[in-house]
Amino acid sequence: MKLHSYLLRRLLLSIFVLVGLSIVIFIIARVVPGDPARMALGPRAPQFAVDALREEMHLDKPLVAQYYYWIKGVATGDLGRSLVTKRGVLEDIMEFLPATMELVMVSAIFVIVFSILFGALAARYKDKWVDSVIRIMAYTGVAVPSFVLAVLFVLIFGYLWPVIPALGRLSAGVQPPVSITGLLTIDSLLTGDFPVFWDALKHLFLPALALAIGPIFQEARIIRSAMTDNMGKDYVAAAVGYGIPNHIIMGKYLLKPSLIPAVSVMGLDIASLMGNAFLVEVIFNWPGISRYGMEAMLRKDLNAISAVIIVFGLIFVLVNILVDLIVAYLDPRIRLGGKL
Amino acid sequence: MKKWAKLRKKLVIPGVLAILVAMLLAGCGGGKTESQKGASDSQQSAREKIIRISEANVPNIDPGVGSDYASSIALANLYDTLVFPSHDGTLKPWLATGWKTSSDGLTWTFNLRHGVKFHNGDELTAEDVVFSMQRMLTLGEGYGYLFTGVVKEVKALDNYTVQFTLKKTFGPFLSTLVRLYILNKDQVMANIKPGPYGKMGDYGKDWLITNDAGSGPYMVKELKKQEHLYAVKFDQYWGGWDQDAPDAFKIIGTTAPSTIRTLMTRRELEITDQWQTKEALEALDRIPGVSVNAAFTGTILNIMLNTKKAPTDDVHFRKALAYAFDYDTVVDKLFPGCRKAKGPVSSVLPGFNPNLTPYERNLEKARAELAKSKYAGKLDEYPVELAWVAEVPDEEKIALLLQSNAAELGIKVNVVKVPWLSFVDQVAKPENTPNASIVFVSPHYSEAGSILESRYHSKSTGTWEQCEWLKNPGIDAAIEDAISTLDTNKRFEKYGAIQEKIVDLAPTIWAFDQAEKRAYQDEYVVWPAADLIKQGKPVTSVMGYMFYFHDFKVYPNKVPK
Amino acid sequence: MNANLQPASDINVPSFAARFKEGFRKKWYKFSRNKLSVAGLVIVLAIVMAAVLAPYITPYPEHAGKFVDYGNASLAPSATHPFGTDIFGRDILSRIIFAFRGALLMAVLVLAIAVPVGVFLGLLAGYYKGSLLDTIIMRVTDIFLSVPPLLLALAIAAVLEPNLTNAMIAITIMWWPWYTRLVYGMATSLRNEYFVTAAELIGASKFHILFREILPNCLSPIFTKMALDVGWVILIGAALSFVGLGEQPPTPALGQMVSDGTRYMPDLWWMTVFPSLAIAVMILGFNLLGDGVRDMLAKGEHDHE
Repeated sequence: MKLHSYLLRRLLLSIFVLVGLSIVIFIIARVVPGDPARMALGPRAPQFAVDALREEMHLDKPLVAQYYYWIKGVATGDLGRSLVTKRGVLEDIMEFLPATMELVMVSAIFVIVFSILFGALAARYKDKWVDSVIRIMAYTGVAVPSFVLAVLFVLIFGYLWPVIPALGRLSAGVQPPVSITGLLTIDSLLTGDFPVFWDALKHLFLPALALAIGPIFQEARIIRSAMTDNMGKDYVAAAVGYGIPNHIIMGKYLLKPSLIPAVSVMGLDIASLMGNAFLVEVIFNWPGISRYGMEAMLRKDLNAISAVIIVFGLIFVLVNILVDLIVAYLDPRIRLGGKL
Repeated sequence: MKKWAKLRKKLVIPGVLAILVAMLLAGCGGGKTESQKGASDSQQSAREKIIRISEANVPNIDPGVGSDYASSIALANLYDTLVFPSHDGTLKPWLATGWKTSSDGLTWTFNLRHGVKFHNGDELTAEDVVFSMQRMLTLGEGYGYLFTGVVKEVKALDNYTVQFTLKKTFGPFLSTLVRLYILNKDQVMANIKPGPYGKMGDYGKDWLITNDAGSGPYMVKELKKQEHLYAVKFDQYWGGWDQDAPDAFKIIGTTAPSTIRTLMTRRELEITDQWQTKEALEALDRIPGVSVNAAFTGTILNIMLNTKKAPTDDVHFRKALAYAFDYDTVVDKLFPGCRKAKGPVSSVLPGFNPNLTPYERNLEKARAELAKSKYAGKLDEYPVELAWVAEVPDEEKIALLLQSNAAELGIKVNVVKVPWLSFVDQVAKPENTPNASIVFVSPHYSEAGSILESRYHSKSTGTWEQCEWLKNPGIDAAIEDAISTLDTNKRFEKYGAIQEKIVDLAPTIWAFDQAEKRAYQDEYVVWPAADLIKQGKPVTSVMGYMFYFHDFKVYPNKVPK
Repeated sequence: MNANLQPASDINVPSFAARFKEGFRKKWYKFSRNKLSVAGLVIVLAIVMAAVLAPYITPYPEHAGKFVDYGNASLAPSATHPFGTDIFGRDILSRIIFAFRGALLMAVLVLAIAVPVGVFLGLLAGYYKGSLLDTIIMRVTDIFLSVPPLLLALAIAAVLEPNLTNAMIAITIMWWPWYTRLVYGMATSLRNEYFVTAAELIGASKFHILFREILPNCLSPIFTKMALDVGWVILIGAALSFVGLGEQPPTPALGQMVSDGTRYMPDLWWMTVFPSLAIAVMILGFNLLGDGVRDMLAKGEHDHE
């Protein structure tokens, strides 16, 4: 199958999945008792205003029609109004999404760098003490949920040993850079504001680490076992026979193919990063979309809940396509074969 | 090529290790620069002369919508009102220089101050007052209900005279005017978007979320949803400025104890919110230069009993609970510094009846009452659902206390934690309202009538302020009669009689008179209300006005190192 | 393939038992060779025992219920209260042990519902690959797998009333698709195996084919996944209860205890630290055990870890 037809199929399927997801969300959101118009305006608002709002929100129409208007709105970027912030959900999301993306991206970098490092080290020193130490770290790292890690980080670095900031995105009093991408690190670099860059980076460290530790060790174990598997393969023995130096064998012949299984579960890791970001942002007081979504959920702010899930669904679908492409790039055998 | 690959391979692991080490160093080394920078930040911002205060949420700065604590603070500073509540409880002329009342109390005429400027430079006139009142009446949100049942008509007699016509005589009308924030009509009308209010569109609601149209001492600089409201001094404020007055204030929407503690230690927060737990306040108090101020502002913690739902519909059952509750543990152990509540009205509120006989813990009496109730012997079939508000963790202590007290009588209490907005939704109907709800209620204006009306009059049922569903025509009539009495002494007598009746019906367990406790930077901030309390003088109980930042003073050179 | 050695018609009962016993002995040998797996088993057994016997072994069983003792509130760890007491004066150790009950119950019930449902749908879709049924089932599965699981569980739990049952419902709703996808893959390849075509030819019922021919060959990966999933369910359950969407107070839950404790950090650190460790140890135990089960059921001789 050709690359573009594969991509096209993948995209069509994704659109289908997103539409399905929107139906699921719509049903969830309408199950909740209570009149959204009344909730938005408060118990003492005059009836005529509530009625007008009901009409504006199409609540007076049958469910199917409501879904039609809602999905039409979603498609045109009108996600409704938030009950909590009282303004358009899209505006809210545009404001809060970059902080989350920055956090998830930095933890993804942590995951990639450290999982390869630990995985390769463990394989290189298989059954030596390095391997054992990494294995023990792996078991513990996977077992401690990221929200527990986050709480412990705040306890340790927020109070007992305040060497690195444990709350928020920037120190109080630091003026954020002009918003270009919304990512503080990138914006501050673009404007050449290095103190702010440094400050933003330090604030990213702990929450990103709390998110990353689980996936790091999950991936490290996969990389290690793939590498030790491949060590026994004939082509490696052949390479050794040709006298190719060890480190080249490690890097070129072992590491690259061993990354394939690791990358293919990367999609799941991103899911866990984004899901866990929900709790971690709350704990670190991180002004991202997850904290916004969490608040929306606790307050039954339905438009906001629906929008957040749709946005996450969208990101997740895109990430999975990306992951598939990377796997295909790494593994010439399955390069865009019949596999979906 | 090969050489390069070799070199690259050689470098990878040490390289990654180097990054790792660098990151760790960044963590440690960064810590130092962090604290140095923190210090310079706080000095810098202290030079800016700012008051930063934490609250449960970022304020809702639309005067027609906001009514919670944070919003009340913000509105008091961004907008002006016709009259102003002094700390001693009296009302002083403000935008209004004087007023007249017709003999039947139905017509009120106010003369306006000349030359008051809105933040955009427009002059404040009677038209703006008319517009602001009409907007309140139409929206019906926030503090609007104070006026919806009272004000019939409002008109501008000339540029500086405005006249209100009331539907009925309403004694405390003047007191409620502290909630009529005056908006700049032209500015709002220029920013209207389509919406449900007919030709008024959205009545400027969208624009007013992040902008102000006021004439108050401060004006909005930035409102970041879920983060903070930042407002700066309005130089042409008609009231003038003291040289040590704060140049800006910031209301930060978080109560997370870890954040608050860090900010207070770094002097990046001047006043904390009032939702810090006892344990957290003790720790804050230990920070050098930080004091805890406890102010009685008329707030009571109520355990509201739904009188329309079994088993709390039985007055004997309610009395049994009221006699079982351990009031002493509350004021001695849970909320030291607070006082026992005597009845529906806080003892600091004008119009409070000091001769009430409050409920005391007495298991004998409790059992006797329970025996008289129709649920005696059938307690297992009638568990009591007790709700506390998720955002106020201290309420859980009260909930669990009542639960264990009730268990001594054999009453089963199920404790439920409910997020605020779902709670508001639940209590809109009597059948969905829990048997018991733990809610803090503050008066809207400084008089017993405010609490009596918002807590026990039938028209407040369905709101979070009355989860009792009392619906007692006698009480309704008595309240209406009292608040339409113009003579203050007679009015207060009537308030007293109503309080006795309500205590006898036991619709509520009045858990305690809340002392609003906040830690603040005593060393470099002068907070007028806190100083009055130190001298043993009363402070206003009008929510928000303890934080009229115009009268505060900040001394940056006194910030402790 | 084991199953074609086991014709469904004439199973000799004693020899089956003997074979089972022999098989078990082999498996146990394989399992017990890995010390970590045995450690996992020990942790899990200890937690299960503690949870079952909670009313008898905890120092203050009444502290897990409607109990307050403000006189003994906020005590640091000591001989009488090894993990200290919380702000209500309740013994934290006792509450942790009782909280194991809810966590275990959740793991068992969620898997007990999600696995059969997911497996059944996966079998159907896989066997009828290419049919409308397949399309419907698998596309619905895709939808549920298109959002981070924790996020969807949070959303569902949030719109429902917060309690343990609804938390379990929320987790179950997002859990079955994983099994559907797992079984689907296996069923699609198994349906072309000789023993399935053979059974079809002799006119065996669809029920027989799905549950007697295909299912037994999927069991080993299903059990492996279940063993590995227990820790995950506990983790997600703890996350839900951390944000207040699980078991309601005064009944203790680990996530809820951690989140309560965060309000009193760092002074009452024991309110946070011990429940956190309890979560970690519990998940660690189940993960180690799960790995052991996986290696035990693995076909290959070599265990990778």
